Parts: sequence; C-alpha cells; structure tokens
Amino acid sequence: MVDKVQAELKSAFSDLTIHEESYPECGYHLSLDLAAGDLEKAARFFDDRRFYLAVELCVDYREYLEIVYIFSIHSSLCKVKVTLKIDPVNPVAPTLSKVFDCAWWYEREIHEFYGVRFDGHSDMTYLFLHDGIDVYPLRKEKVLVAEADRLELNSFSPEQREDSLSINMGPQHPSTHGVLRVVLRMDGEYIEDAYPVLGYLHRMQEKMAENRTYQQFLPNTGRMDYLGAMSYNLGYVTAVERLVGIDVPARAHYVRMIATELNRIASHLLWVGAYLADLGGLSPFLYAFDDRENLLDVLEAVTGSRLTYCYFRFGGLYNDVDDAFVAGTKAFVARMRGRFALYEKLVGGNVIFINRTRGIGVIERELARKCAVCGPVLRGAGIGMDFRKAEPYAAYAEMNFEIPTGRNGDALDMYHIRIREMETSLDIIDQSLARLSDGPFMVEKPPKKLKPRKGDLYHTVETPRGELGIYIVSDESDKPYRMKWRVPSFSNLMAFPELAKGNLLSDAVAILGSLDLVIPEIDR
Amino acid sequence: MTVTPSSFIKGAASLAAGMGVTIKSFFQPVVTSQYPHEVLTITPRFRGHVMLLANPENPSTNACISCGICLRNCPSGSIKLVEGEKREGEKRKTVTTYILDFTTCSQCGICVESCTTNALGFSGDFNCAGFKREDFLFDLVKEFEKRKKVS
Amino acid sequence: MEQILKILDIEGVRLAVGLLAVFLFVVVNALILTWAERKVAGHMQLRIGPKEVGPYGLIQPLADAMKLLGKEIITPRNVDKPIFYLGPIMIFIPVLVAFVVIPFDSYLQVRDINVGILVILAFSSFTVLSILMAGWGSNNKYSLIGSIRSIAQSVAYEIPLLLSLLAVIMMTNSLSLKDVVVAQKGIWFIFLQPVAFIIYFIAAVAETNRTPFDLPEAESELVAGYHTEYSGMMFALFFLAEYTNMFIVSAITVTFFLGGYQGPFLPGIVWFLLKSYFLVFVMMWFRWTFPRVRFDQLLNISWKALIPLSFINLLVTGGLLKL
Repeated sequence: MVDKVQAELKSAFSDLTIHEESYPECGYHLSLDLAAGDLEKAARFFDDRRFYLAVELCVDYREYLEIVYIFSIHSSLCKVKVTLKIDPVNPVAPTLSKVFDCAWWYEREIHEFYGVRFDGHSDMTYLFLHDGIDVYPLRKEKVLVAEADRLELNSFSPEQREDSLSINMGPQHPSTHGVLRVVLRMDGEYIEDAYPVLGYLHRMQEKMAENRTYQQFLPNTGRMDYLGAMSYNLGYVTAVERLVGIDVPARAHYVRMIATELNRIASHLLWVGAYLADLGGLSPFLYAFDDRENLLDVLEAVTGSRLTYCYFRFGGLYNDVDDAFVAGTKAFVARMRGRFALYEKLVGGNVIFINRTRGIGVIERELARKCAVCGPVLRGAGIGMDFRKAEPYAAYAEMNFEIPTGRNGDALDMYHIRIREMETSLDIIDQSLARLSDGPFMVEKPPKKLKPRKGDLYHTVETPRGELGIYIVSDESDKPYRMKWRVPSFSNLMAFPELAKGNLLSDAVAILGSLDLVIPEIDR
Repeated sequence: MTVTPSSFIKGAASLAAGMGVTIKSFFQPVVTSQYPHEVLTITPRFRGHVMLLANPENPSTNACISCGICLRNCPSGSIKLVEGEKREGEKRKTVTTYILDFTTCSQCGICVESCTTNALGFSGDFNCAGFKREDFLFDLVKEFEKRKKVS
Repeated sequence: MEQILKILDIEGVRLAVGLLAVFLFVVVNALILTWAERKVAGHMQLRIGPKEVGPYGLIQPLADAMKLLGKEIITPRNVDKPIFYLGPIMIFIPVLVAFVVIPFDSYLQVRDINVGILVILAFSSFTVLSILMAGWGSNNKYSLIGSIRSIAQSVAYEIPLLLSLLAVIMMTNSLSLKDVVVAQKGIWFIFLQPVAFIIYFIAAVAETNRTPFDLPEAESELVAGYHTEYSGMMFALFFLAEYTNMFIVSAITVTFFLGGYQGPFLPGIVWFLLKSYFLVFVMMWFRWTFPRVRFDQLLNISWKALIPLSFINLLVTGGLLKL
C-alpha cells in the first residue's frame, strides 16, 4: 500500500520530493512538503483514495509556521505526513474544510492558537479561548491578537430565524455529561441544525506540555480523558519511549495491558450506565457502578487512585503488582463474564431501549471518513479499525482478540459494540494474566532525564473512545517543543451536527450519548 | 412503528425480564457501605497527600535533608518551601519547614519518586476538609512531629 | 357516637369534614409515597435509600418538606406572573376533587355522586391545563416543550383511558363508583375485562407522567420539563400533585377492576389501601426499570395500539352483553 501510494504521489506531484520515513521512528511512512497552491490537489488525491485526515495541526518553528496534515487510511497501515510552510508574519493558508469536514474544526483551533487565517473557511469563530486573551498562546514569540481576530472572540450568537426555536442544550444540561454546549435550532421538536460550542473546560494542556519536562507532564495525561486515564497514560508513555528509544521489560507490558483493559471496561461500564440515564432509565447506572466499583477496588490497590491514574512510567511501571492484584483481577473477570446476561435482560433486550436506539444516529461510512470518526463509533459503521490491531503497541501484537463491528452504524450497534468490547477486553486480560511471568517491572536504569532525538513522532493508541494521536516535536531538550493531542471525542463530536439534523430532541440526546463524548478531552 | 401480535408479546416479555432483574435486586442485600458508620480499610498504596516518613534507622527523625529536588520536580509547584538547618554532630541537613499546598497538588507522586533519601510517602488521609484555603497549606514537619507524639 | 354520625349526616358538615380529611390524606400520602419511592428506588438499585432521619429514614420526607417550605420562591425575570403562580395551585384542585368520590370503604366516601367517574375524569383533564400554564408562564423553552408534550400526551391517552372504563360501565350500568364496587361482589372485573385493565393501567401511567411515559418532565432531555423554573413550595405542589395522582389512578384501578374495598377477613379500608399501594408500587417498579419512550412512539402506542384495541374491546363487550 505504501509503495503504491508513493508511486501515485510521484506521478501526481512530479516536481516534489517524497521522503520515505522510518515508520518505527516517526509513526508515518511518507512525508512531503507542499506549496500552498498544491494543497487542495493533494487533499483531493487522498480523498479519492479513501484516506481520512487524522489530524491537522500547526507547529511554530520561529522562522516559519508549519501546518501538518496526517493522512491515514482505514483499510491498511499507511500514514502520510503533508506539511505546508507559511509565513509567520502574515500567516494565511488555504482551507481543507471543503474536502474533509474535520479540517473545519482543526483549522478553527489553529486559527485561535496561532493566528493563522484560512482562506475560504466559512466560520473562524474561536473554539476554546475566551475574552481577554490578547496573544496567540501557542506561538513561540509573543504575537498580539490581530484586531480582526479580537472580534471573533465570544462572537458566537445563535442565529435567530422567524419560525424556528433556538435551544441551548448545555453547558449545564443533564445529558451533555459535563460542559458541552450545543445550540439547537428547532422546528417544534425537530432539529434543523446543531452547533456545538466548546471551550467551557479548556485548560490548554498543549501549552502546559511545552512548559513541563516529559516526566512532569505525565500526571496531566490522565486529566484529559478522566474515564480512560490508563489509555492516555499508556499512549503518552509509549510515545515518549518510542521517541527516546527505551525497551520495556515484558512484565511491564502485560501489567500495562491488564490495567489499560480494566480501565477500558470501567469506561464502557460508565458509558452503559450514563447512556441509559440519558434515555431515562436510571437503574442500570447503579448496576454498572456496582461492577465498576469492584473493578476500581482492584485498580486502586495497585495504582493508589480510582480515576485519574498515573501508574505507568517511562521504562516500566510505578510499582509492581502483587498476587492480590492477580487474584482480584481474576475474580473480577469471572464476575464480569456472568454479568452480561443481566445487562442483556435489563438493557440490551428491552423493547423500549431497542426502539429508542435502532436506526438512530446512523453513521454512514462516508461521514465517518470525512469526520475522521474513530473508536466504537467507527466500528459501529462497520469499519473494523482498532489501533490495538492496526498499530500494535505494548504487547497487543501477541494478543488474540476480535474486533467487534456493527452493521447499521446506529446507536443500538454502538451499545452492542461496547458490550462486546468489554468481553474482548476480558479476553485480553485473560491472555495477559497467563503470560505474566516474574521479572523486572522497570528497565534497569530508569532514565532520570530524557534525551529524545531531534525530530517528530505521530503515535496512535486506542482509547475507550478511539484513536488517540500524540504528535511530539522534540528539539533534544527534556521538554517537548510541541505536543499535539488528537483526541477521539473531538472527532466523534464533529459528526454530531450531521447526525442530529432532522431528528427529534430525544434522539439528539440518544445520539450524543451514543458517541460517548468526554468533554475535558475535547477541550483539553 | 408497527405493532404485530408477536412483536407485542416479545416486547412484553422483554419488559417482564427487565422487571425481573429489578425485583430480584429489590430483595437482595445492598452492596453499598454506610459511610461514616462503617469505614472501609484504605489500601496501603492509596494516594493521600504527601507526608514525611520516619527514618528507618532512627524512627524519631525523618530522612529529609531538605535538598529541594521535590520542589524543583513538582509539576504544579505545590511544594512551596523546603528549609533545613545543619545541626551539630550531624552530617546532613535536617528539615525544619516543609510547606505543601494541597489545593494544587494532584497526587502524581513525582516528589515521592524523585526523593533521594526516600523521605516522602503517601498518607492514607482521604477526607481532608476545611473552611478556607489556608487549611490546606500543610507543614509536613509539624505533622510529622504531631504523628510522633500520638504514637 | 350516634350523635357524631348524625352530625356527619348533615350534608355541609360531611363535606367539610370530608374535605379536611382528604386534604390531610393527600399530604400524608405524598409524604409516605416520596419515602416509599426513594426506598424502592434504593433497594432496586442495590442501595438503601434514606436512612438517617428517623427510623428507616421515615422522617426524611418531612425534613424535605420543611426544607422546601423554607426555600425562597424564585420568580425568574419575564415570567407571566399570574399564570406562573396559578399553575401549581391549579394542579392541586382536581386532585382534591377526585378524592371526594372515591369509596375507600363501604361507608368511607365523602360523597357518592351518581356520575362519580365522570367527575374524576373531567377534573383530571384539568391537570394538563395547569401544566400548560406552568410551561407557558415560565418563559422557558424547555418548560414550553414539556407542556406541549404534555398536552399531546394527555389528548392521546385520555381516550383509551375513558374507553376502557366505559367497557366496565357498560357492564354495571352505573357511573357511580360505589355501584361499580358493589357489582364486583362475585368476581372482579379484572377477570372479566383483562384487556380493559391493561389498557387502563398503561394509559394511567401515561396520564400521571410516570416513566416510561414521563416525557413532559424528561430530565435528560428537558432538564425538568414544565416545572424547571419552579422552586420551594411551588415545586413541592407539583411534587405533591404527582404522587397524589399516582394514588388516584391506582385507586380508580382498584375500584374498577380489583374489587374496590372488598376482600376477606380484613376491614374494607385496609383492603382498599393494600390494593392501591400495591399498584403504586408497580408504577414505581416500572420507573426504576425502564428507559423512557420517545415522543412519537408514545403517541403511536396510544393511537395505533391502545385506542383501536379499546374500541374492539368495547365492541366485544357490547356484543356479549347483548347476547
């Protein structure tokens, strides 16, 4: 696949050099630097070959700003980094939002953090920042916010129309789980248009990363997606290990996988509970929490915390697991396997639940690709893409598990996929436990100060919500030069306006719930 | 939505199955524990706020030499002040003040890990409560002395 | 004793005492039911529910009531004040009236009106008016949507409600509740009219806005629906009305289908309350098991299933009676 794309790229862009990169080091296979004029052509090139735009980001190299596009494809492993250098004094770039829907969001983000204006973008309203921010936060030198951009701050106001009703769903709304705000334009109970307004939980984690050493940023990872803290921890740790070049002992790998999969189950359990609460059934929430509490006890005994874990270290683990952990995990696995029947009776088979979710929020494959939807939502659309299989990290390559996929892409499929994913997680835990042997849980000489190589890395892991991409640019110091987090909930949210259109208000709640959004992760 | 007799019966059965689950748990013993009447034991690895540990060789003192590595490594700047003095007859400094601002601490444990003399550890204190921010400016040395007196 | 009974026989006195008793019952019933609801919810969810205030948490609803009484009644800006304040008061009147005609026992009935059931149904239709007032007066979009849903729901479900009761009335030839109970001396109507019973009970759950039909106040969609903007005692009135309505529909179900106050060994009032509270328990059981149906599905259930079914039931009943 890589060779084929390379050959086709060569014929399409004959005057450009296409660099072959070392995938194990960089996380992408090919890279090419484009001129602004070629960008749309390149985007169409990738669009025609059914690539999706995994992430669009910007890096400030002082002499120039570089916009980075990572193109990836669902059907095989082929990642292409496309870069575009622009002038830092008058930063203007062409937009890709007409080709890929997700670019519309990422470009808004780049605009407010770097001051890059995108030609042809329909809406440059700020996404995350609020009033009183007078510099572009991610620029390396102090650049004052342009007068035109100052007007964009807090400029959002719902468009009023004669015969439609605007409703603010959120930021304080029972079913937006946190502080997501969606402005719905409604015709009676039918939604004409949904417009997510973000930034109520924005903490500028990416800027924080630039001010901290790699070690010091470690606890922050668990605070982005507080439900999948282990996955974030693991993603960050494996990314930095890949950048620095640390080999982790086998025992640490297995413990990491067990802990991460337990965390995945906890996250999905919470989703089951919260989703049913969204649909009006409050009891399943407590049943799910009963299971979840049992699981958290196991994790707490070894990690010391119940939610925002910070357990993995560069080169291994914080501390070793004991026999009690193994026994506790085994007991939980046995208990959980017996509980699925109860969930099927109480939730999965319930005729009201089925009628509420069947045919609701159907994700078409095309929409999934254009919005770079990921995780269970993508698998619900029938695309069996899981980074534990596609780009194995830790020791997932040794594990034997299936990737559940849906047929219709509706909310009911998402429910079944998450339930089945819990089962596959149990399988992985079983296999990891069987392979868990004595040995060191940490590399012999844990690095006191990290010395990463110069360059960049795009590393992806599968969190409970999907594709987590970490793009790190290193300048050989012990602090990252730039760290971009491509978060799964954000790209899943991008699909929401399209899914909500024409549906009832109740369905909007059902769709929003089925996407399993974690707002702190979106806002970072 | 069309309702056929068979789908109606199937639906009713599924509703009954759900009701069976809830009525069963209605008669089951509860799984919650009644805090504060019963307090569960905290796991030894639980991460409460940081505390100074006793020196294994000499339990009446702690091992902190007020080198300040924890202060420099803290990602949130929660460790405000570490001061010590050199006492007569001792090779290393002894800590006299150790101020931790618990309001910004995220219990990441980097201080515990970076400590060269293993003088820091997590306490099992899970219910810190107070009426003002100053209540959470812990002086770990004073707390250490207090614990010593109690034991 | 006899004198007391004599005084009680005077129409005005009987009505006054009755209304007072009804009012007391309404309050006590709501207190007990809030406690019961939280206990039932608790145990169905593997937890205990209120337990700190009083033995088994029995005083908890009283404490809650005190708290609500002590709370400020917040009037949001731009509300339609007369309508906003009248809403919660209006919702309470039909509730009180309904109790007047319910026979708790052979002698325990404030007034036996020969069109008793009509009185109840007519007044319970008032509820939706006050919900509309609350929703419109609040000047809140969620409240408005909640109240609009409530109207559609009420219109849809009152028809099967009435039609299913009509089947029973055809068999008794009387609209008086007492006559209906007396007619069930031999066999309860639930056995003669099982379809009507099921239709009535489903419609009743919908009429009282309980899960799975609690769309007007669907908290995960509409925050709190029509009573989003109410606080303190105003909110408490809605709350009181909901629990009283639950009891009323259960009481009517008992009266029409489960033999009313009749039963062996125990006094009639005990039987009546036992049966009614069991039905209330079933409604709570529904609430703590099911998710909520969607609005169009809710209307579909009524228009496409319950109403045709109740018409067929009515036809069959009529045909059988004629034979």
